[in-house]
Amino acid sequence: MANVLDLRRRIRSVKNTRQITKAMKMVSAAKLRRAQERAMAARPYAKMITSVLESLTRRVDIFDEETGNLRHPLFVTRPEKRVLLIIVSGDKGFAGAFNANILKTAFQFISGNTDKEIDIEAVGRKSRDTMRRRYPAAVYSEQTETDQIGNNAHTLKTRERKAQVEVTGDHPGMLLKLENSRVFALAENIISRYVHEEIDAAYIVYNEFKSVISQRLVVEKLLPLMKIGIPQITGAQEPTTEERERVAEAALSAGIEIEPVDTAEADEEARKFGTANVDYIYEQPSEELFAGLIPQYVSSMLYHAMTESVAAEHAARMTAMDSATNNASDMIDALTLHMNRVRQAAITKEIIEIVSGAAAL
Amino acid sequence: MAEQTNQLRVRLVTPERTLFEHEAVAVELPAKNGYFEVLYGHAPLMAELGAGDVIVHGGEAFEAGSTANETRYNVSWGFVEVLPDRVTILASDALKPEEIDVPRAEQQLDRGLKMWKEAGESEDAFTQALHVIAEAEAKIASAAEKR
Repeated sequence: MANVLDLRRRIRSVKNTRQITKAMKMVSAAKLRRAQERAMAARPYAKMITSVLESLTRRVDIFDEETGNLRHPLFVTRPEKRVLLIIVSGDKGFAGAFNANILKTAFQFISGNTDKEIDIEAVGRKSRDTMRRRYPAAVYSEQTETDQIGNNAHTLKTRERKAQVEVTGDHPGMLLKLENSRVFALAENIISRYVHEEIDAAYIVYNEFKSVISQRLVVEKLLPLMKIGIPQITGAQEPTTEERERVAEAALSAGIEIEPVDTAEADEEARKFGTANVDYIYEQPSEELFAGLIPQYVSSMLYHAMTESVAAEHAARMTAMDSATNNASDMIDALTLHMNRVRQAAITKEIIEIVSGAAAL
Repeated sequence: MAEQTNQLRVRLVTPERTLFEHEAVAVELPAKNGYFEVLYGHAPLMAELGAGDVIVHGGEAFEAGSTANETRYNVSWGFVEVLPDRVTILASDALKPEEIDVPRAEQQLDRGLKMWKEAGESEDAFTQALHVIAEAEAKIASAAEKR
């Protein structure tokens, strides 16, 4: 049986741990608040891009009247043979089941599409590490081709696929400091792959975060563009009521607003952008407008997914750390009780010894 | 809220946040094929923006230090919607002239020129290089304007 000194030492150690988890919880709460603000600030732009593109598709036929061609290659749908999967996970651990759940959903998607070739683009360090371990990286071989005239040499990048699932790229640190320019570069990269028929569809797995109590894991179809402004969610996983209660509890103790902020008015305002019931003069031909708007639209969808995922990650960490703090408190209580009992037992034993010693005299 | 007439409501929105929202008399906008100015009552218009300066004229003096009642923003790529009483600018990137990092813009210009030289036959690479150059030049120009 442990003696009083040992128990005291253990209590001290658990108290230290509790202090750390409590600090981490508060830090996550602060980061969550900032992430939520950023997600809010990004909304008007996303809404406006969506509404202007939506109204443009309504006004201008997406098929060219004269040639019958589509006005933008992203509207083309092809049978899905090669699919791009973008996985948005967290950069760090200590967030409960957050990363595990995202990866689980990603693996479900992969095992549900064994007949297709899948390319993986990993955003966030956790997904990169796991995907790298599991699947081989894509191999590109460069070929220098010389054309007939003989002097215009240009290198062609060809890819040799070795496995059904390959990792084509990763973006560690992108979430750490979310910058629109980097997200836009990723969007352009994805678009160019789609246009060059390297992929036939693009999906994104991320944790949607409307507010602390309303979040879910979704698989969303990014490309091809079908209906502008309506997210094509192909799979969603709602958290259980129990999980939701835990999050709400943690948020409350950290002083975070759990209800979503009312943005209906601002959204309504933003939705009007480019949709007023008048005939616009379009400065550029509609092809050019489409060509300019669509990359922005895709990029804003990606940016949206990433800001929400960041917020969700901080919320998950906050919840996990809140649970850890509670567990540590419980443990301290149990240990203190135990320690007192041991102490009492020792005192009783000593008294008995003294009393029986006195009786023996 | 003195008089609301003949005032445009100008908004500048970037992917990260709404940067600017105010009443103004006129706005100069860098469209893809040249600058144009919008006054109250302009016909509804939708245009793609290139790289350049958005200049908001008039209204109240917005901030301390702004001279001659105008506010200038360097924007690169985006869209603008003009309605008779409202102008909404969606810019991919917007900076105040004093926020521009000139050495970095110069580096960007060098990078653009290098891309331009290496572009060769590829049309995509060419357009991309021109994009980078235009953005860098616009940044340098608007930073120089301020000084």
